[in-house]
Amino acid sequence: MSAKLDLRVLGPILALVALIVVGALLNSNFLSAGNITNVLSRSAFIGIIAVGMTFVITSGGLDLSVGSMAAFIAGLMILVMNGLLPTLGPGVALVLVGMLAALLAGTIAGFVNGFLITTMRIEAFIVTLGTMGIYRSLVTWLADGGTLSLDFGMRTVIRPIYYDGILGISWPIIVFALVATLGEVIMRRAAFGRHAAAVGSNDQVARYSSVNVNRVRMLTYVFLGILVGVATIMYVPRLGSASSSTGVLWELEAIAAVIIGGTMLKGGFGRVWGTVIGVLILSLIDNILNLTDGVSPYLNGAIQGVIIILAVILQRERKADG
Amino acid sequence: MKLTLKQVDRSFGAVQVLYGIDIVLAPGEVHALIGENGAGKSTTMKIMSGYLAPTAGQVLLNDRAVTFADSQAAEAAGVVLIHQEFNLAEQLTVEQNIFLGHEMKRGLFLDKRAMRDKASALLKRLDCNVSPTATVRDISNPDKQMVEIAKALSRDARVLIMDEPTAVLTAREAESLFTQVDRLRESGVAILFTSHKLDEVKRISDRMTILRDGWVVGQHPAEDMTEDAMATAMVGRDVSSLYPVRTRAVGHDKVLTVRNLTVPGYADGIDLDLHDGEILGLAGLIGAGRTETMEGLVGLRAATGSVNGKAPFPNPRAALDAGIAYLTEDRKERGLLLSKGMRENLTLQSLSDFTGLLIDETAEDAALTRAIADFDIRAPHRAVTVGNLSGGNQQKLLLAKTMLAQPKIVIIDEPTRGIDIGTKQQIYEFIHALAAEGKSIIVISSEMQEVIGLSDRVLVMREGRIAGELSGDTITEDRIIRLATGLDGRKDAA
Amino acid sequence: MKHLALAALVAATALPAMAQDVKVIGVSIPAATHGWAGGMNFHAQQAVERLEEVYPQLDFVLATASDPSKQVNDIEDMLATRNISALVVLPFESEPLTGPVKAVADSGAWVTVVDRGLAQDGIEDLYVAGDNPGFGRVSGEYMVSKMPDGGKIVALRGIPTTIDNERVDGFQSAIEGSGIEIVDMEHGNWNRDDSFTVMQDFLSKHPQLDAVWASDDDMAIGVLAAIEAAGRDDIQFVLGGAGMKEMIKRTADGDQMIPANVTYPPSMIATAIEMTAVGLTSTAPVAGTFTIGSVLVTQDNALDFYYPDSPF
Repeated sequence: MSAKLDLRVLGPILALVALIVVGALLNSNFLSAGNITNVLSRSAFIGIIAVGMTFVITSGGLDLSVGSMAAFIAGLMILVMNGLLPTLGPGVALVLVGMLAALLAGTIAGFVNGFLITTMRIEAFIVTLGTMGIYRSLVTWLADGGTLSLDFGMRTVIRPIYYDGILGISWPIIVFALVATLGEVIMRRAAFGRHAAAVGSNDQVARYSSVNVNRVRMLTYVFLGILVGVATIMYVPRLGSASSSTGVLWELEAIAAVIIGGTMLKGGFGRVWGTVIGVLILSLIDNILNLTDGVSPYLNGAIQGVIIILAVILQRERKADG
Repeated sequence: MKLTLKQVDRSFGAVQVLYGIDIVLAPGEVHALIGENGAGKSTTMKIMSGYLAPTAGQVLLNDRAVTFADSQAAEAAGVVLIHQEFNLAEQLTVEQNIFLGHEMKRGLFLDKRAMRDKASALLKRLDCNVSPTATVRDISNPDKQMVEIAKALSRDARVLIMDEPTAVLTAREAESLFTQVDRLRESGVAILFTSHKLDEVKRISDRMTILRDGWVVGQHPAEDMTEDAMATAMVGRDVSSLYPVRTRAVGHDKVLTVRNLTVPGYADGIDLDLHDGEILGLAGLIGAGRTETMEGLVGLRAATGSVNGKAPFPNPRAALDAGIAYLTEDRKERGLLLSKGMRENLTLQSLSDFTGLLIDETAEDAALTRAIADFDIRAPHRAVTVGNLSGGNQQKLLLAKTMLAQPKIVIIDEPTRGIDIGTKQQIYEFIHALAAEGKSIIVISSEMQEVIGLSDRVLVMREGRIAGELSGDTITEDRIIRLATGLDGRKDAA
Repeated sequence: MKHLALAALVAATALPAMAQDVKVIGVSIPAATHGWAGGMNFHAQQAVERLEEVYPQLDFVLATASDPSKQVNDIEDMLATRNISALVVLPFESEPLTGPVKAVADSGAWVTVVDRGLAQDGIEDLYVAGDNPGFGRVSGEYMVSKMPDGGKIVALRGIPTTIDNERVDGFQSAIEGSGIEIVDMEHGNWNRDDSFTVMQDFLSKHPQLDAVWASDDDMAIGVLAAIEAAGRDDIQFVLGGAGMKEMIKRTADGDQMIPANVTYPPSMIATAIEMTAVGLTSTAPVAGTFTIGSVLVTQDNALDFYYPDSPF
């Protein structure tokens, strides 16, 4: 393989390693177990969503609604648990019901996006821009403009989902790793991943090759919706609340992570492991800036922007290969 | 203005497509250029209008040698080509289209009044009633043709080249076009046009040039030529060695019965039978509805009628499950994923055969090895992206991909389009070998020789209907052309 | 004359049945994008509902905007189509709103500006102001009283705006010379998730801290969660602000981590609407500037500031 090809594959990894080196040099606590756990855990929400987003983008789609969707599902999950608290009492059963509600809501939300895009043939950008506004409004309305808070009695029961884990690894990290591994296997080795790439590469070819294009597209949105539900299940236990400011700009962070990871925005090629690296890069930038003095916090966004663009430039050699 | 091609050659890479072409387009004369698909008509027209440069020879305007840098330079010199597919911006108005790229201005601003006046005058000159402010999307095909001509005239075209102007027009619409052509002829414009409809050629042209395989094989005044004489002149060469010798017999079992298949807008009441081991040719002019009929049959388009006694397939997957596969004519846009490797492309249509829970990549690799051997696919290395393969090898891969799904019936649309002669021969052998295995094959081809060389039986389509069926000794180019152009069997189309 | 025509028009379009001279008060506020704004929206709606009953001769138009340009559109629409006699506006940002609000003032309508001043003086008839430097100062003074021997603290700031700058400046001047050192300061954007993340990183960076100035109750919630998760017991307390009901409750209940709060009441919008209504319907003088001070809330007086029905 040529050096060009290597750079294309290694680009995101190099960027990640560079960030880790910089972080370690700037602050001795950077590599501490505590900090690593913090960064990985907080990456989990965007990360889990970004894995789903990888499939949507690979098949030539886009979903702008995931941030609002997460806020809405979080609100819904809290309302369901608060509402059933008197009947079920604070316990594992109620947590499971909340989880089920989140997964169900995610599935339905993904299905709605997919239906409008495939069956109704409306541009994905427009559909998800619409649902983005709808979910954001709905959560504001549910919260009456304020914040939806999980009943205090419930918080101690649900808290371990974010903060505890096994063998010192917290649950969000474990779930993120599982979702990422599953996503990577599906993308590379399952017919669904192959079909998603074929549809994104050229949907006519896919159609003429007897692939059910609409079904593949629909499934990518449903899969993403379910993963938004999973991310929400991890999110709610952290602060036990949801408001209209929950999940703001998550969609753009997820899309940025996918692209940094080497998936093509116009579809046809996706890699889940790249997305995971993209998510870690984005989280690390924030983390390093917080751990460092001397950079004006006003410039955080600029530094993030530069690193995103650099990471993508690093893998531009794709064109030369064909 | 007089336009002359003098001893023009043209090659694409190693393939020469034009040999020493001499044509004179005189002012006030309508010149017809006729020949089979692939005879070199389009290339000739593109050289005349600056889209292509000749490899050798000269283009002369009023006897002075000229070199057009591009089509704009040709237009500036008064030579305009009107494409077969309209080159109009559908969302803009008629007058906006007429002046697109050549807008009249007063100072910094568009001079709308002057453009409106000139557009009206041009349309009036063409006796065309369409409003200058109508949106092009909303006007009829002949009106669009008129707008194209008005657009050409607005650029002071003195030489007008029309590529199959009547292909999309009905007989009545074509007649009104010819009235305008007569008018232009009287005003001293030199006109060249191509058509497969030989009656039109007879009707409108003053002179004609007949092309075959890139050579001029005849130039005659129109009055000297009958339609039969034209057809005979267009045909006639011996390529029998290109096609394998038939060594097998067609079976007697019907494997496909299609009745009254209708694809709205393209095909009407198609009946068709296919036997095991048979190669059925589907001939006709471009636009006769052959591709659309077959796409309707396999569920790629909405269709009505019956296929083997049932409703047409709802989607290609259902057709494939019933053992019918369609191999597209457009291998780059519909056949292959050009940015992917050979393995992904090969197994795309039959991925479920390679998938339990996960895809068995070892089995895929084995399938690729087999396909490379069976279909003689020549790739620089196994990981090559398919877009980097030659057209011939792409076509072989597409054939391998389709056959991997193990269909009993294969519909192959233009099996050798844009492929060199050596690979053509290989593909013909593959097709024969498949038939010998007992597969049934439908070949759609616009090349007469191919249809004749391959088929046991030929159906000829014209304007969305079956114009006739030929078999055995009756399969001749002459008969096919007559059916395809409507010389014979005209009552079918009426 | 003009007034009569206006009243007639309003009567004809809005309330055809009423022959009375009905005046319209327009209320334009930012949408509920964070907790405090949510509370402010709640109080605005409450005030409008209550005042419409009290004053039958008044009609209210309430519009919430998600960005400054939307707010400009809202105000232009109110002026053009509803013929408002008065405008109560909480500007999203000072600069872009100054022109449109001035146009309202020039039309002869009464203008009440709330919380954020306009970029140009003298446009408004009434200015109901929150006291941002005072908010910072009261917070700083409490810190000093709580840590007479000094100590190390970290601070979380809001969304980068003038308001945030004024608060931080007030805070810094109040703790000057007290021995309290702000070892780190970052923007938490008045957002729970952001402040959680920032605080986690602060905890990694600084092994020993004495207190946190979260400067806002939403941010205080994120900060508390981060501290709890890290299991750190060096931090003695967290000082939020703005008087969110849950936090006030914890102060009232004697929670040692949240010993105090500093008000910046979202209900100031209700004050402004009410004063405007009084101004329009009576001869009582209400013009001028009305500053709503920031008050220190401790366990002793917490119940006076506890509104269980408010969303904030």
